[in-house]
Amino acid sequence: MALAVFCATAHSYEYEKNDVKVSLSGYLDARAVAAFGRDTPREYPTTELGLDAKATISSWGGARLYLQLIDDGTVTDPGNGLLVNQLTKVYQDKNPYLDVDEAYLDFFFEKADVRIGIQKFSWGRLDEINPTDVINPEDYSQGSMNEELERKIGIPAVRVSSYSALVNVELAWIPRYVPYRLPKPEERWYPGPLKAPESVETDGTVGSIPVTSTHKDISLPDAGIESSEAAVRLSKLVGDWDLSVSYYRGYDVMPITDVFSDLTIEIVDLLALDYTLELDLTYKPALHKMNVWGFDFMTTLGSFTVRGEVAYFDEKRYNRRMQSVLGQELSRSKQEEIFNEFYQNYLDSGGALTRQTFRISPQINIPMKAMKYGIGVDYIYGDTSVSMQAIQEFVPDYDNSMPVYFINENGYNTLITAMLRQMFLQNTLELTLNGAYGIEFRDYMFRPSLKYSFTNTLQGTVGIVVLGGKYDNSMFGQYDRNDEAYVRLRWSF
Amino acid sequence: MKCRGTGLLSAGAFLAALIVLMMSGPAQSAGMSAYDIMKKSNDLLDQAKDSQTTMLMTLVNDKGQKRERSLSAFMKKIGKGGSKSILFFNSPADVKGTSFLVWTEEGKDDRQWLYLPALQRVRQISPSGRGESFMGTEFTFYDMGGHDIDDFTYTLLKEEAVDGEMCYVIQAIPKTVEFYGKLTVWIRKANFIPIKADFFDAKGVYEKQGKFTRVKNIQGINTPTHIEMHNVKNKRTTIIELSEVVYDKGLKDDIFTERYMKRGN
Repeated sequence: MALAVFCATAHSYEYEKNDVKVSLSGYLDARAVAAFGRDTPREYPTTELGLDAKATISSWGGARLYLQLIDDGTVTDPGNGLLVNQLTKVYQDKNPYLDVDEAYLDFFFEKADVRIGIQKFSWGRLDEINPTDVINPEDYSQGSMNEELERKIGIPAVRVSSYSALVNVELAWIPRYVPYRLPKPEERWYPGPLKAPESVETDGTVGSIPVTSTHKDISLPDAGIESSEAAVRLSKLVGDWDLSVSYYRGYDVMPITDVFSDLTIEIVDLLALDYTLELDLTYKPALHKMNVWGFDFMTTLGSFTVRGEVAYFDEKRYNRRMQSVLGQELSRSKQEEIFNEFYQNYLDSGGALTRQTFRISPQINIPMKAMKYGIGVDYIYGDTSVSMQAIQEFVPDYDNSMPVYFINENGYNTLITAMLRQMFLQNTLELTLNGAYGIEFRDYMFRPSLKYSFTNTLQGTVGIVVLGGKYDNSMFGQYDRNDEAYVRLRWSF
Repeated sequence: MKCRGTGLLSAGAFLAALIVLMMSGPAQSAGMSAYDIMKKSNDLLDQAKDSQTTMLMTLVNDKGQKRERSLSAFMKKIGKGGSKSILFFNSPADVKGTSFLVWTEEGKDDRQWLYLPALQRVRQISPSGRGESFMGTEFTFYDMGGHDIDDFTYTLLKEEAVDGEMCYVIQAIPKTVEFYGKLTVWIRKANFIPIKADFFDAKGVYEKQGKFTRVKNIQGINTPTHIEMHNVKNKRTTIIELSEVVYDKGLKDDIFTERYMKRGN
């Protein structure tokens, strides 16, 4: 007998008829920020409406559509008239906008599940920084201040998961690369390493050259098998150990850039040999495929839960430090070569070519083999939980003559993270202390927050974010001027 | 004779069974020993091979303010003396999608996993964390797992009436104190279903009281459908109301896996 039931609870809406069950839930979120620094771009309040519709069809299928409508307070000058975030652009440049967070169909078989559509993968065992979790790109519009899953961008993919007593296998095929997202260079959370310097210091007679810059969006490769990505993960419970091995062949989801440099020389006064120089840098996201072999584990040892990951990267690319690159490209000998060519062209033109531009194409990103590994430990005592992690990136063949961002001269970058969570009042009040410290670059992040559940559906959070470091081109040091306090209110339904 | 608890039988029968299955041993009453009483109660409560139920969990703080959570629970006996159970949180929104998986095996520590939808990852829970509160309730992770009744010594203290029902009063002392130092349980003489139990902490201080009422006959099994756990130290109470209890539905083993934790209820 058909049974159609529609009921609205205080928490979600559900509809059930025959073997089909549909539920709708969501949230309305508002966040306001008070920046401590006066010389950083202002961030206005951000509001967000999330709608999550899920359906199950008997025991063989399901679907999900998760939309977010966002009025982003970090966007300073929206230029793009479109409403929906596109999966083909790094700079979305719109506000407000609609984001399709996830939208997929599920098919359940006896020993396998298939998911087709826009989805997120969560591989690995660590928190926030996962060496083996390399499939989904991230949205860096808020730096890394929002939660890991919120940062991830859902990507169109086919996921096949098979289950057996021998091993569980997860296969992923991503037909087309989806790029990460960046804010615009003039916005609050634009990454420091991707900002053009105001000038470049060179050897020789030229000295300092002023810099202008342009940021272009990504050019995606043509759709096809060659440009698709694939990954596989094998998992098994062995005794008390949850173990997994994985392999990924695809594009690096981290922001890697190419830079094209145009040096323009213009004669002001030939007799006085007075000229002006200007360096125009064009930044463009670069795409490079890499191989990633991974291993992760989780177990309990005594009172502790222990988690870990190891990843080996082949052909991973790193952005070189711009000042170092341009300093090399504009060496004394290179300057002489350019000026010789300039004067020759000037003479050949009979004095007409007083302004000339020379293209310099530095190798701004370089491939290196790398390893990234980490271990985390959790401890729970009553209403208190503590987690600590140590994560290290190591480039064995690091070349000091070509320094890159976030790796020190010995080829290391080590991060220690710690989290303390204390619950009060029957889990209605939550104090969280989050911190991270980079050993090589002496940079840090401290993020305490207090969250209170006024009711089952209404939560408020207050917190502060403190970022800094010895160097302004380190992971946290680049946001040194972005310290802020925030308040957030979320109503869930 | 070893007799192992089956962990999360159903929210109501589970806690009752937990208490019963933690207790067996030689103590005498007219016609029945304390062990006999416990065994009979256990046999009556533990008849089903599997069960599923919907629970409404109400958390009441010391000021009388209430928060509600809706869960679905599934349990299945596995092998000899073992069991697997899985809980899904259906509401409110901040816990919706969270799931908790327990595997119990005779002679071994329970294995427990927690799936957090905000991370889309599964986390193992250390066995020593089991003495801690489960999701802010007055039940602990230990309460949610399975137990070995041979780990206690038992004494039949007396018989007395509780809420108009005559009961056997049985005390259980653990041979190795881990979380509870002592339990006292009142078993209804009429149907051998526990009606209340007092829990004492490792130092023997009275800690909390559980009550099991509104017993319904579901598929021939007397099932308490209203359970209250009151913590006398912090003055908080957790109330569980069971509904849609179904026994012996033929649940498959693969429900009790990480796959279903992520898939959800």
